[in-house]
Amino acid sequence: MIRKRFAAALTATALLTIPPVSAQDEVRIGLLFGISGAISAMAPTMVDAARLAISQVNAQGGIGDGKTLVGTLGDSGCNPQNATDAATKAVNIDRAVAIVGPSCSGSVLAAAHSVTVPTGTTIISPSATSPELTRLNDRDRVFRTVPSDGYQGAALARALLERGIETVAVTYIANDYGAGLAESFRSEFEANGGTLAAYQSHDGSKASYRSELSRLARSGADTLMIFDYGDGSGLTILRQSLENGFFEQFVGADGMQSKALIRAIGAENLEGLLISAPIGAGAEALERFSQAFRAENGNPEGIFAATSYDATFLLALALEHADGDRNALPQSLRAVATAPGEPILPGEWEKAKQLIAAGEEIDYKGAAGDHEFDDAGDVPGAYALFKVTGNDFEIIAPID
Amino acid sequence: MDPGLLNYLLFIFVLVGIYGLMSLGLNVQWGLAGLFNAGIAGFFAIGAYTSAILTSPEVAGRVGGFGLPILVGWAGAMILSVALAWPIGRVCLRLRSDYLAIATIGVAEIIRLVARSEDWLTGGVRGISGIPRPFGELSYLASQWAYLAIVLTVVVMAYLLIERQLNAPWGRMMRAIRDNEAAAAAMGKRVDKRRLEAFILGSALMGLAGALFVHFNRSITPEAIDPMIVTFLVWIMLILGGSGNNRGALLGALLIWLIWSMSELLTDLLPTEIAIQAKYARMFLIGLALQLVLRFRPEGILAERDPSTLRNEGPR
Repeated sequence: MIRKRFAAALTATALLTIPPVSAQDEVRIGLLFGISGAISAMAPTMVDAARLAISQVNAQGGIGDGKTLVGTLGDSGCNPQNATDAATKAVNIDRAVAIVGPSCSGSVLAAAHSVTVPTGTTIISPSATSPELTRLNDRDRVFRTVPSDGYQGAALARALLERGIETVAVTYIANDYGAGLAESFRSEFEANGGTLAAYQSHDGSKASYRSELSRLARSGADTLMIFDYGDGSGLTILRQSLENGFFEQFVGADGMQSKALIRAIGAENLEGLLISAPIGAGAEALERFSQAFRAENGNPEGIFAATSYDATFLLALALEHADGDRNALPQSLRAVATAPGEPILPGEWEKAKQLIAAGEEIDYKGAAGDHEFDDAGDVPGAYALFKVTGNDFEIIAPID
Repeated sequence: MDPGLLNYLLFIFVLVGIYGLMSLGLNVQWGLAGLFNAGIAGFFAIGAYTSAILTSPEVAGRVGGFGLPILVGWAGAMILSVALAWPIGRVCLRLRSDYLAIATIGVAEIIRLVARSEDWLTGGVRGISGIPRPFGELSYLASQWAYLAIVLTVVVMAYLLIERQLNAPWGRMMRAIRDNEAAAAAMGKRVDKRRLEAFILGSALMGLAGALFVHFNRSITPEAIDPMIVTFLVWIMLILGGSGNNRGALLGALLIWLIWSMSELLTDLLPTEIAIQAKYARMFLIGLALQLVLRFRPEGILAERDPSTLRNEGPR
């Protein structure tokens, strides 16, 4: 009896919650972000940025002949279990034609392998940086608006060699960010004649790194590469090396570009610090996004805010270009994102819509970069070297 | 039936099957033998990575490229889980249950950290990709059906075998040991050996669940073996469903996954302003369900069956 009643209740719940087959006047996309889990602190800003793009699209004419773009929010967590669950729901229950997300690299791998690639759903992740995604056999269905960690490490290696720094010691935080950067740095650096005096990973949660640092210092290198976060263990490592005089020069990647570092250590002590970080290709594009996002009480400097916005806006452009054909989305994404074509800046939906209707080529220049997708669906990203001046980071030179 | 809904249900039941297998394994350890294993994620991880390494294609810089058949991977997953469970059991099972919990949690953490940092073995934080999936080359719907059939076959086999063990003298002996260790020992039962058997059997099932999971997703990263999403979820499933009862273990897995996954469909109906907060509702719901069950039905939804009704011969 109880069991019967229970089964009836379950069935009722299931029936109640299935939304009606998508109405003719809307186009649904899935927004899968790691709302719970390891990157939950960043997720709300990412969601808001994606929603900003959707509201701009709808305010300026919608998709096609006035269809509303609807983003259905899903929690992909930061693990494969939640990600495949959220992707399955987005594709099958919400009937999303395409997906922005998921957030973490492991989530993207699992969701792509078991849900979105088999169902032919295009996904575009704003925050998965693992080089593993480049090698994914994805039938051209997986894209991202954030550069692979592989690019930055290699770019940094070339920049250092150009400046005559040929022997370094490397320490990196043991997660996919640190390992990805360190590995791509190592292969490019060694291939072009650089020498790694030491190369080791460190745990991100220790109070002291003196024993690791003294081991690194014994390798004889004057320059320490720190692939870590400047508001976490990267700060501790930098401070303790300075206190003990282990190294003369320090080089970090974008994770070290944190003002917490300058506040804690002081600009006068950071003259020997070089940092590589991505730069938005067009200042105007970033400014347009920042203004619009601030008006919605968003924080445009939030991590992955600009890439989330770009991913959503690009997907909307591709939907307009593909005219509702989900199988044409990969080609359309390339068509709207890459040169040649009339430049489209963030928020210029109406202009883009007219150009697409007229059959003209367009080229989206996003807030986080130009997004020229390569064959693997990756974006190369543009980087520059920064140093500390006053209380901020200042560009020394762009990196090729 | 609507194809989208069907696809979704197939997916849910594959995961229910995989978690159900772990829940059955834990039931053998906790429900039957009273062993507090807090390292389920460790055995799950061993199974997942073993099968992944044995069956995946070669990648530079990592052990592997054996490309063995999937069944070999599954067998390897169980064998390695057993090989891990045996020494842990030998050392720790003589301790009282809370010490076993500490030891297993420690071992699971060690395994997780090894998986995260040993690139040559596990691919480190990037994990292993390109793992084959049986019938994976079929269309989406057909391959989901095929995988569900495989998982259900495994779960039903495991269920029948454990049920058989439970009703056999071995099962009665295990319960005797669990409920009164001194009395069982006085009757000449070898308590340590029996406990070790239960511990190993449960661990093998957890390893097999890991292998099933990894071939379903075709990839594994250390995020998948987080204790939050494996160890604690499986414990909740067993406690909620009813420890000591195999059907309870499976029912718990089903209920928790339904709450976990379907409640999101309900919370999606809430206004968009609170959509992000609403995503946490499912965690709250699971906690609430656990609280309610512990308060009003501490033995779980399906309680352990009274042993006296299991007996069908001999005097009462």
